[in-house]
Amino acid sequence: MAGGAGSLTERAGVRAGPFSPRWPWAARALSALDPLRLAGAALFLAFWEAASLFVSPIILPGPLGVFERAATDFWSAPALSYFGLEDASLAGNLLYTAENVAIAVLLGTAIGATLGLLSARLWFVRAAMDPVMMTAGTVPILIAAPFLLIWFGVGRTSAVSLVTFYVVVILYVSAQRAALNLDPIYEHYALTLGADRRQMLGAILIPGATPEILGGFRIALAGCWGLEAVAELLGSQTGIGKVLEVLAGATDPQGILATLLLLGSAAILADAVATLVIARIAAWRAPAG
Amino acid sequence: MADPNRRMIELVEVGRAYTRADGQAVKAVDNVSLTVPEGEFVCLIGPSGCGKTTLLQMIAGLIEPSSGAMVVDGKEIDGPGRERGMVFQRDSVFPWMRVVDNVEYGLKCRGVGAAERRSVARDYLKRVGLAHVERAWPRELSGGMLKRVAIAAVFANGGRVLLLDEPFGALDYVTRHQLQDVLLDLWEEPGRTVPTVIFVTHDVDEALTLADRIVAMRSGVIVDDIPVRAARPRDTDSLLLPEMVAIKHKLLGHLGLERAPGRAARSGSAA
Repeated sequence: MAGGAGSLTERAGVRAGPFSPRWPWAARALSALDPLRLAGAALFLAFWEAASLFVSPIILPGPLGVFERAATDFWSAPALSYFGLEDASLAGNLLYTAENVAIAVLLGTAIGATLGLLSARLWFVRAAMDPVMMTAGTVPILIAAPFLLIWFGVGRTSAVSLVTFYVVVILYVSAQRAALNLDPIYEHYALTLGADRRQMLGAILIPGATPEILGGFRIALAGCWGLEAVAELLGSQTGIGKVLEVLAGATDPQGILATLLLLGSAAILADAVATLVIARIAAWRAPAG
Repeated sequence: MADPNRRMIELVEVGRAYTRADGQAVKAVDNVSLTVPEGEFVCLIGPSGCGKTTLLQMIAGLIEPSSGAMVVDGKEIDGPGRERGMVFQRDSVFPWMRVVDNVEYGLKCRGVGAAERRSVARDYLKRVGLAHVERAWPRELSGGMLKRVAIAAVFANGGRVLLLDEPFGALDYVTRHQLQDVLLDLWEEPGRTVPTVIFVTHDVDEALTLADRIVAMRSGVIVDDIPVRAARPRDTDSLLLPEMVAIKHKLLGHLGLERAPGRAARSGSAA
């Protein structure tokens, strides 16, 4: 460190240089708050506020009211119980939705990534799975919702299996591509060092494919929230989707926007956490950007 | 110690044919026979596309020969194995393992205990001059350092045969010479059996500096097999010895860089 005792930087409590922040995660979080993006968000809010002055609140409620509504209904929204919701708070329903998303994402990733990796190395797995996965990848997954409702009823299972299926398809494709893109030199090198097939899987294929698999995981996670909400909207007694359905029935646009705001915030938060975890797991890779 | 009477590598009429996209059959390696005694350092030299890398990969067990027999240490080659270590032309060090984990990976594969393999890996990292970066990620190292890691890994794994495929081809002049010294020091390391080496290169001076014997290939066949008897360590002056200059002329001829290969012998005897 430059400067003797009592130098400017030392008095200011700055220990490390600008290129080695003491809390790298905090620095990352700060840099994520790109001023341009913040300005974009502010501009959007201003535009919204301005528009709401000219339009009836039944069509477009103002942002301030929406934020207030989200805050007051977060812990307790008695109106919801009149419509037959088990949990009369946005927090409770959000938690239900988040649980379903978490279950679906973890289960779907485990299944999809495993099948995808196997399909890249075992021709019969690929022959069996590719047609199913590629078809499922091109058809909107929501059309399966009525079937799932018939099979599993309106409980958790329907929505979770719908979202799980979506995650499986994305992770299958990204894991397969990750394994196919992995430079064969690593497997050749491992073979000449004496690795057997099982060791190659654990030490070469899985770590080598992990960054790309995690990329697919993030995409799947982002898509899950909306899909889970729609699945709940189509048939569920709880969850953010059910809340949205009820509020739409009651023609409550402010409530709908407040609910969507919370759902979006949850999705952004989950993505931020996933990004941090992924950066940790794939630390061996050059930092992006 | 190495027993020069023991045949370490035996290739009998080995061939490798493949079909090109246009349907034409090509022989990458054609009827190659070669015997290498234990502990010998053989350089395989030839213009690009002459089949030297294919031959090396067949010995490594990564490519199956279409004809012929290949025996290493009395056993027919049946796929890759740890007794035949390989250093690749491109970087093969696992980017998801720290440097020290890379060096001990081969030992880990065959169940050597964590403490023991760590001490072996550290020892070899020290010898290749990388003790200070054992906890680094490979992406943090230069190209020359990555080659040092690969060399440390292959020696730590203790193979009796080392196959090197133009390992220093992509490095700068200074780094290449430093790594040649590193390689020879490890190869000649006292107290263990000297490994048998096949080193593919297209650099004539590199072959003259390293080899006990230089095998030249062209169009899939062996066209020359020259012993190099100059004493080690070989410095700049060694390469100027008349016999070395004569070999150099011959090799340049095989590489197509000298118009009349016959001139080599004359200039050699005149010097």
